[in-house]
Amino acid sequence: MHGKLLNGNRGIKLFSRHAAVPLLSLACFSLLLAACAQTSHLKQTDAPVSIPRNAKILLMTPDIQLFELTAGGMQEPKADWTAAAKQHVRSTLAKQLASRNDVIVPYEAPADRDAEHDHLQLVKLHETVGNTILVHKYVPALNLPTKRDKMDYSLGEGVRQLKARQAADCALFIFMRDSYASAGRVAVIAAAAVLGVAVSGGVQQGFASLVDLETGNIIWFNRLVRGYGDLRTPEPASEAVTQLLAGIPL
Amino acid sequence: MRRRCIIFLVFAYGIGLIACATAPVADIQPGAKPDLDTDEAGLWMYMDKAEADLKNSGRIVTDERLTNYIGDIICRLDSHQCEHMRFYIVETPDFNAAMAPNGFMQIWTGLLLRSQNEDQLAYVLGHEIGHYHRRHTLQQWRRTKNTTTGLAVFQLLTAGVGIGVAGDIAYIVGIAGLMAYSRDMEREADDIGFDLMLAAGYDPREAPKIWRNLMEEMEAAGDSMPSIFFASHPTTAERLRTLEEMAQAAVGDSPAAAPKKEPYLDMIAPFRGEWLHDELQKQDFAATQVVLNHLFAENKRPGELYFYQGELYRMRAETDDREKAVEAYQKALTQDGFPPETYRSLGLLYWKSARMDPARDAFENYLAARPDAHDAPMIEAYLKELENNEN
Repeated sequence: MHGKLLNGNRGIKLFSRHAAVPLLSLACFSLLLAACAQTSHLKQTDAPVSIPRNAKILLMTPDIQLFELTAGGMQEPKADWTAAAKQHVRSTLAKQLASRNDVIVPYEAPADRDAEHDHLQLVKLHETVGNTILVHKYVPALNLPTKRDKMDYSLGEGVRQLKARQAADCALFIFMRDSYASAGRVAVIAAAAVLGVAVSGGVQQGFASLVDLETGNIIWFNRLVRGYGDLRTPEPASEAVTQLLAGIPL
Repeated sequence: MRRRCIIFLVFAYGIGLIACATAPVADIQPGAKPDLDTDEAGLWMYMDKAEADLKNSGRIVTDERLTNYIGDIICRLDSHQCEHMRFYIVETPDFNAAMAPNGFMQIWTGLLLRSQNEDQLAYVLGHEIGHYHRRHTLQQWRRTKNTTTGLAVFQLLTAGVGIGVAGDIAYIVGIAGLMAYSRDMEREADDIGFDLMLAAGYDPREAPKIWRNLMEEMEAAGDSMPSIFFASHPTTAERLRTLEEMAQAAVGDSPAAAPKKEPYLDMIAPFRGEWLHDELQKQDFAATQVVLNHLFAENKRPGELYFYQGELYRMRAETDDREKAVEAYQKALTQDGFPPETYRSLGLLYWKSARMDPARDAFENYLAARPDAHDAPMIEAYLKELENNEN
């Protein structure tokens, strides 16, 4: 976002604040890579739930963004890649879950603005809780003493709003970010390698969670973090979704 | 000698970065959307998400009267494109407005508090519309990309031969190039904002005034003026001068109409107290004092202003500030528009000064005026303690 009128250190430069988001997630990524060895998915320990066959799963709008890594290391958002990735993720999900006779219901935003606002707050809450799980469950050094041997995160009973509107049993949330080196970046990586300097060439990261729409409990959670993969084309995208959904109790 | 050569090369490289050409960008066409495979579509996608987040941030002023009023100003400034723009009034106590490439504008409440009439606000909104017309975010993005590409290559070169300092210099020169570009875009947006306000019948002589007030605030706060090297925008003094000359050339001393002052001040009146409260949370008391002084000059509901003057002293808490605060609250109580919270603040200061009788009166007045106040139980506890002390 451009257009700050006032120079000086008291204002906030808006564009850089937004641009900081992918950078931040990159930092998280390196933190998580260090913890890559452990098993990935987590299951609710507080009140384990077994989901009936033919369950109705509300698929929340997947939050997916793809970027190109420029030679200088900037992440350029890519609309066409993102649109393709969303399409691939949706069709893979439909295929995988249909094989179990579960019914997938895509989330529909309500026309009522207040209801939509409440739903979006739930999406934001999920993002915050998801990030907390990523940091505190997957990075051993940051394990919280009160959560060490259990997985009892919940979004609370507010999720019943979602259940009421679309009559679903659980909701599946998906968050994915993927970046790819541009030709220029590849050249920089190669040159850097000659000089003995390591330069990042893009990452694939994401997390998914299954939420019980009665209690708000996160029944199952998984994350994907790796330096390869491709959401832009159908097969690798399908493979990434399969990885992400590994161990999902559906 | 070798070192001097390296430094020379570094500067040559830095200058090369600045000169790196970016193809000219045409103005945005009404309703046009970028093709999906373009960098511009990527920026729009990113900003669509930012817009959705902002919209649901809980910090948006949704008052219908105020939003209709501002929407009308935007459409008066730009009737061709206003249907393709959205705007959000964001509760943030700083002078700022910002335009995103996909057509959403943020208007901070600190700007609304500081604008003295519709004409001044119209100028700033026109400036933001200018960024949108000229697709400045896209231009800035391409420029930054070109420059950082150069920087990464350069950092590699210097990493290879081990000259860290040289890398820093190239970085500084490169950054200055970015900033210079941004300054040009700000000037361009200034010009567009000026033209739009003039065409919409506003008094262009109001445009420089908002900068003059801002300069006064910055000087009071002790902010040094930014050095030319790092200034990302034309200095306020330069903008002020340019706008004054432009206004003189455009209308001389006879503008089409007088500034729209009364309707503007009436429009923001219901929010003024809340926005002043937000300003005070920054604890930048010298700057807030300048804002208050300008509002005192308008002489609208001075009781509210004296209350916030008292709050400023109470929060600043320097020598004699307690006495000054009490004086300001007492003055507020004699004026139109003071909020019941004046009694509460006054009661607290009396309490601290061990003036128990006036403290009790003030607290009782507060509870009488605000029986449902969220802090009523607290004040009742104070009153009880006062009663116990008496017995």
